[in-house]
Amino acid sequence: MNSLRLLVSVVDDDQSVRESLPDMLREFGYAVRAFSSAGEFLESDCIAQTRCLILDVAMPGMTGPELQRELAFRRQRIPIVFITAQRDDIIRPHLLEQGAVECLFKPFSEAALRDALDVALGVT
Amino acid sequence: MTEAVKAKEDVPPENCIPAAPLASILLTEELHRRPSRSPEYETENTALAALVAALADSPGTILQTLADKVLEVLHAGSAGLSLVTKDQKRFYWAAIAGAWQPHIGGGTPRNFGPCGDVLDHNAPMLFSHWELRYPYLGSAVPLADEGLLVPFHVNGKAVGTIWAIIHDRRRRFDAEDLRLLESMGGFASAAYQAVESIEDLRLEIAAREKAQSEVRELANGLETQVQVRTEQLERNTRDLLDSNQALEREIAERKRAEDNLRRSEAILAEAQRLSSTGSFSWRVATDEITWSEELYRIYEFEIGVPVTVELIRTRVHPEDASLVERMKMAARAPGDGTAFEWQYRLIMPDRSIKYLHAVAHATRDQNGQLEYIAAVQDVTARRRSEEALDKARSELARVARVMSLGTLAASIAHEINQPLSGIVTNASTCMRMLAAQPPNIQGALETGRRTIRDADRASQVITGLRALFNRKGLAYESVDLNEAAREVIALSLNRFERNSVVLRTEFASDLMPVKGDRVQLQQVILNLFQNAADAMSGVEDRPRQLVIKTQPEKGDRVRLTVQDTGVGFDARTTDRLFEMFYTTKDNGMGIGLSVSRFIIESHQGRLWAAPNDGPGAAFSFSIPCKPEIQRYL
Repeated sequence: MNSLRLLVSVVDDDQSVRESLPDMLREFGYAVRAFSSAGEFLESDCIAQTRCLILDVAMPGMTGPELQRELAFRRQRIPIVFITAQRDDIIRPHLLEQGAVECLFKPFSEAALRDALDVALGVT
Repeated sequence: MTEAVKAKEDVPPENCIPAAPLASILLTEELHRRPSRSPEYETENTALAALVAALADSPGTILQTLADKVLEVLHAGSAGLSLVTKDQKRFYWAAIAGAWQPHIGGGTPRNFGPCGDVLDHNAPMLFSHWELRYPYLGSAVPLADEGLLVPFHVNGKAVGTIWAIIHDRRRRFDAEDLRLLESMGGFASAAYQAVESIEDLRLEIAAREKAQSEVRELANGLETQVQVRTEQLERNTRDLLDSNQALEREIAERKRAEDNLRRSEAILAEAQRLSSTGSFSWRVATDEITWSEELYRIYEFEIGVPVTVELIRTRVHPEDASLVERMKMAARAPGDGTAFEWQYRLIMPDRSIKYLHAVAHATRDQNGQLEYIAAVQDVTARRRSEEALDKARSELARVARVMSLGTLAASIAHEINQPLSGIVTNASTCMRMLAAQPPNIQGALETGRRTIRDADRASQVITGLRALFNRKGLAYESVDLNEAAREVIALSLNRFERNSVVLRTEFASDLMPVKGDRVQLQQVILNLFQNAADAMSGVEDRPRQLVIKTQPEKGDRVRLTVQDTGVGFDARTTDRLFEMFYTTKDNGMGIGLSVSRFIIESHQGRLWAAPNDGPGAAFSFSIPCKPEIQRYL
């Protein structure tokens, strides 16, 4: 049954996000993998299977936008939903312009996350 | 012979009767009868060519040369040339060669020698022992055995004879001798003309020279006179020019001095205008006051109106009137100090205020009277700009505070949004799990527990922030930064160990204590430690080394640096570091670099980051040991 579920990967250096978000996503019916850094995700074997990437903007080392560019460079067209604790009205349009599906400001509601996932996975 | 001949020259010709008739001594006819040698053309040619050359080379001696040649060619004992003088009365022996050469310059009256007869007959003649007919020649030795004479002509007129004499009986003239002598006589004509023209020329030249020399003498006299006069004139002119130049120089100098004076006056006036500085002099005894134009402009009086103390009083601000009076009193009886400086205000007719700054110093005039020279500057504009600057500064300070607050607010929002995000997600998940069929009780419990944990975390952040901004919390005390840092190290050792971070301390031993909030400063150090550890968490190819260093700085400041060998950062993004990114999150209770900076700035310090030469970065703050004013939010 697991193999039929779509894989959603979460990359966030904040532990509470890595704990809470996967549970919710599993409740939505997705398979979930969580990573504490961009590097960790890039080194993993699930880039190809990831159907949606939920990505934190601000992280030590490689930031969210940098990972976005790296994936584009690798021609990995994974839909990305950014999440950030920094309410920044400048960075959001910038990220969307760069191809992100959505940029959610923490704390975000369950509904907002669902909507973003639906867009990312092409469910209308 | 010359003596003899000359002695007889004075004898009148009528008293000298020829002794023998001409025909008795003439042998001319016999010439053609005598056997003649063959013509010596070559000798003749050579002689003529030599004569022509001599004529060209040295015409002055041509007659003597001719005599020499005749002597040579005719193999004669003597040879010569006789010329009739211009008065036709005498013959003059112009040139002689051979035995008779000593008689050169001598001569005979015209009819007392063979030459006269030759000229009279205008034909060559050969004489034998002519002393028989011309006794004067009896004293001319050696005696002439035979004498051959040929007349020569110039412009058809016989002017002299050319002759040759044989003193030796063994030799006789023949026809060839005659031919040669005639031939050379033809040349004598040319020679004579050359000599004559030379003589004429010489005479002419001599006359001219004489005339010239007379003229010259005359001229010299005149010239000398003129020269003397000229010199006098020149001297006078020179004197005149000299005094004229001196005068011109003097004039130019005065003009220059005047120009300079005018110029410096103009410069002074311009400088006064530009610097809004007027000047005045005040003779204390007479209250005589002189103002510069600029001072009139400053007081806004018409330039030139007499300045009186009363007039000035109409402008001085009432509040400063007494000050000005006091200054005047002091100035009338200056003590040790002779310089005064004061500031006062003017109130203009339009009620506007002018601020003036005056500096005066006392001098004595020629009469020893006390006089003040003063400069008065209108500092209104400066005063206004100072006020504006002050205003701008406080505005800037306010803006800076607002900006810091903005940054701080963003930082607080970030710190709180993180746990809030966990709370919302966990709570949502918890509800979902409980609503599921069958309900996921275990999962709900777990998410519920995490919700509480995140809420606690948010609460802690707020507690920390309250402590940060609570006035009571901002207790400024004397803090030993080395000591404070050691405490933070003690708290962090476990974390360093877990992350394989090697710590090195470089504490300065002579570090002055700082005035500040110990806990806040420790939070900053802790934050820097966490940043450093985070930056090195992915480093595998080199030691994860953290260096903490303290050092005293100039101006009673202390610096603390935390250096890592982590991922570092791009120098271009240094400023962004303190705004959003690189905020510590893993640990829950971190406060961002922006808050760290806020803390340091509230200690009147500075926090900055710099990339290492090698891998990694260094974060430093520098704070004064004695902050001037304690600044709170």
